[in-house]
Amino acid sequence: MTATRKLAGLAIFLLAVFVLVPALIAATGRKDLYYTLTSVALLSIASAGVWLTFYIGRINMGQGAFALMGAYVAAVLVTRYGMSFWWTLPAAGLFCALASLLIGLPILRLRGVYFAMVSLVLTEVTRLLALAVPITEGAKGITNIPLPGAISLFGITLVPDFSTMENPRIAFYYLAVTLMVIAFAAMYRLVNSRIGHICMSLQQNEELASSIGVNIVHLRLIAFAISSFLGGVSGAAFAAVTQSVYPSSFTVTDSVNFMLNCFLGGLGYVFGPMLGTLTLYFGWNLLFQTGEFQLLIYSSVMILLMLVLPNGLLSLGEGRRKG
Amino acid sequence: MEQVIANGLYLGAQYALIALGLTLIFGLMNVLNFAHGQMYVLGGFITYAIYGQLGLPFPVAVLASGVSLAVIGGLMERYLFRTVIRRSHREESTMLLAAATAFFFDAVILLIFGEKQRGVPKIVKGVFHDFGIILPYDRIVVAVVAALMIFAFILFMKYSRTGRAMRALAQDRVAAQLMGIKVDRYTMIGFALGAMLAGVVGGLLVSITGVNSGIGGPISVKAFLMIMIGGAGVVGGAIAGGFILGMMESVGLTVLREYGDVTYLVIFAALMIFLAIRPNGLMGKPWG
Amino acid sequence: METILQIRDLTRRFGGLTAVNNVSFEVREKEILSVIGPNGAGKSTLFKLIASFLKPTSGEVLYRGERISGLAPHIAARKGVVRTFQETTIFRNMTVRENIIVAHHLRSKASLAGFFFGTRAAREDERAFGESADEIIHFLNLDDLAREKAKNLPHGHLRALGIGIGLATNPAVLLLDEPFAGMNHDETHKAVAMVRRLRERGLTVLLVEHDMPAVMKISDRIVVINFGQKIAEGTPLEIQNNEKVIEAYLGAEDEAIGM
Repeated sequence: MTATRKLAGLAIFLLAVFVLVPALIAATGRKDLYYTLTSVALLSIASAGVWLTFYIGRINMGQGAFALMGAYVAAVLVTRYGMSFWWTLPAAGLFCALASLLIGLPILRLRGVYFAMVSLVLTEVTRLLALAVPITEGAKGITNIPLPGAISLFGITLVPDFSTMENPRIAFYYLAVTLMVIAFAAMYRLVNSRIGHICMSLQQNEELASSIGVNIVHLRLIAFAISSFLGGVSGAAFAAVTQSVYPSSFTVTDSVNFMLNCFLGGLGYVFGPMLGTLTLYFGWNLLFQTGEFQLLIYSSVMILLMLVLPNGLLSLGEGRRKG
Repeated sequence: MEQVIANGLYLGAQYALIALGLTLIFGLMNVLNFAHGQMYVLGGFITYAIYGQLGLPFPVAVLASGVSLAVIGGLMERYLFRTVIRRSHREESTMLLAAATAFFFDAVILLIFGEKQRGVPKIVKGVFHDFGIILPYDRIVVAVVAALMIFAFILFMKYSRTGRAMRALAQDRVAAQLMGIKVDRYTMIGFALGAMLAGVVGGLLVSITGVNSGIGGPISVKAFLMIMIGGAGVVGGAIAGGFILGMMESVGLTVLREYGDVTYLVIFAALMIFLAIRPNGLMGKPWG
Repeated sequence: METILQIRDLTRRFGGLTAVNNVSFEVREKEILSVIGPNGAGKSTLFKLIASFLKPTSGEVLYRGERISGLAPHIAARKGVVRTFQETTIFRNMTVRENIIVAHHLRSKASLAGFFFGTRAAREDERAFGESADEIIHFLNLDDLAREKAKNLPHGHLRALGIGIGLATNPAVLLLDEPFAGMNHDETHKAVAMVRRLRERGLTVLLVEHDMPAVMKISDRIVVINFGQKIAEGTPLEIQNNEKVIEAYLGAEDEAIGM
């Protein structure tokens, strides 16, 4: 792809998410879609993190843990310490990144299914921890989290206080989409820079990578920390949107779903997790009308997709180009 | 003390049997079967339907659970996993497939049996009460049956033609193929056998703990724990892992009772530290 | 000539088995030194010990007087001691050129963050790596295959790629793991010439090998090990006439044919 085509693609994408989608929603009056799309955007950020750990060759099913952690960190900081929501976003991300360094140091040595299982267990540990420690208030969770306040710089209000808005959902939509664009732009840059190639070398052969001087332990930790940072930010933003967090806000199912988003979109494509999240989330919501058959149809479609497209949705384009 | 050990052994026997099925599938095809817990639940509901609803004898019901799951497992391997393994670039894809089948089973179970907790009449009445141990007879029966099945499974893997073929397969797929072992056939049998074990345990335990549609996931997580403790893909490891987890639970529930639900938190945390020191579990082969 | 690598009393045990037992020798600058020995003599363990892929039970490996054994492989590589692998170990899903470019890791002056933000140093690095990669590709006669995915390469070229990956790190000492294994006469001939040209580039080469005629042709000096111990050291001529070596090889062959 040439640089101009890439820029055109980017412009169309930005136009779509920032202008066309809101316009379409306004035209059809389906305001409920704002919440759906906000969720998709935030979940895709967490999925992007999982994707990055896949990229260094680890099956990460611990993202639910970091999303939950991020949500609690943000909730506690806002409700107990009166911190502004805008600061809690990076704070939650950094907290999760630090936690992931501590956890990652021992467990990133594990490979394949072992890492997958331990990270899955990590999700469960975090949920139990949220139930057990006092600061998270147990099963009743933290509720009534205030809406994000205003951002002003030199006396000029850049972002108004969410609680003064007629419909904060629209504001949340813009917030989530902006975060998503930033996260994926960073991921794209990362993967297409030399760092991405080194990560790729790790995925393909860790021994060879270390023989050419790559500090594989170091790099694995960095990738895991970035992944967890994204998980934390996503969780923190989610807590603000729903104004609440419970131990069950992010569970093993969510961790599995993040992984499925990556798989479905395609592990070889940076934008895979975004497409995967959108498809899975919308697919699931569309099936809501089928009532009790929702899960049955959803899982059947997923099995069929696996049989037909075992390398992800984006591999469709690949096949065409080759053929 | 005696009571704690007795409980641990009772839990351990059933856990080991669950873990055996999971580790067999993993050892043969490197597939982490997320649907293992759902297979257990399915087995439980089949026994519930045949023994609890139709009133047929309990052993018949458990047998039916085992046979049905074996058939389901065989079909899953033949028509789902084999295809995906052949067509996918990455072996992790089987995990997605396994997760999807887990959801599928959840959905089927929910549709057919609903979300209520189901139980069946006790198979044996009365309580054993001696040597400082209180244990209902039905639990003893279940534990003994489970122990016998573990024993039978070991003998089967060691001495039968099929068992030996499967062990060769788990060791080295390519070499096994060169030796003339029908790889496809034995993989399918192995998957069926693993599923059967899950179904049988589900059937046995419905007589004690009952069954409900929501426990599939947690059972899978527990089974993962066990095979990680023992070392994935190793028969001895699964048995050891099962008994260790059973014991830890039994001790934990007694010692930590006052602190609420922290037993599992402690077990999980201990496991993560353990795996940091021994990444391949107690007796696992190095992975990756 | 100066000593570049010193192997001192190196021992490695696996459980009860002593794979390498108290081995010492020196590698001099810009020489080609081969380690040979019958099957199972402990060659490959010794190789991994020198490349820091295994930690010695006792003893040490010094590079220009600095200990490199017992540290991580990437640290040994950073100091200048780099190993190659046998042929299947390459970055399979990258092209030949990408393989070699990524292997320039150690030469980068820019930080990882620098690469992310595309700083001037990073761009300069990228350009330099590209040039250097093209030079290496040309050196290895891989020009026609530069854009080919590594997994599609014919066998003979895989080993050249392996050496190319090693060269990209700009090593002082290159450790070659059985560079002639599985080659026919013609291929071996070419590979021997290639190893000589490595030395002409200023590299010190230490290789572990099976193929006796090739080793005799190429080596300045040879170290022979058997049952984990060094039994001889010297020029090819000295080794050819060494009683112990002849015995070791004959003995091994007797065992192999079941006598």
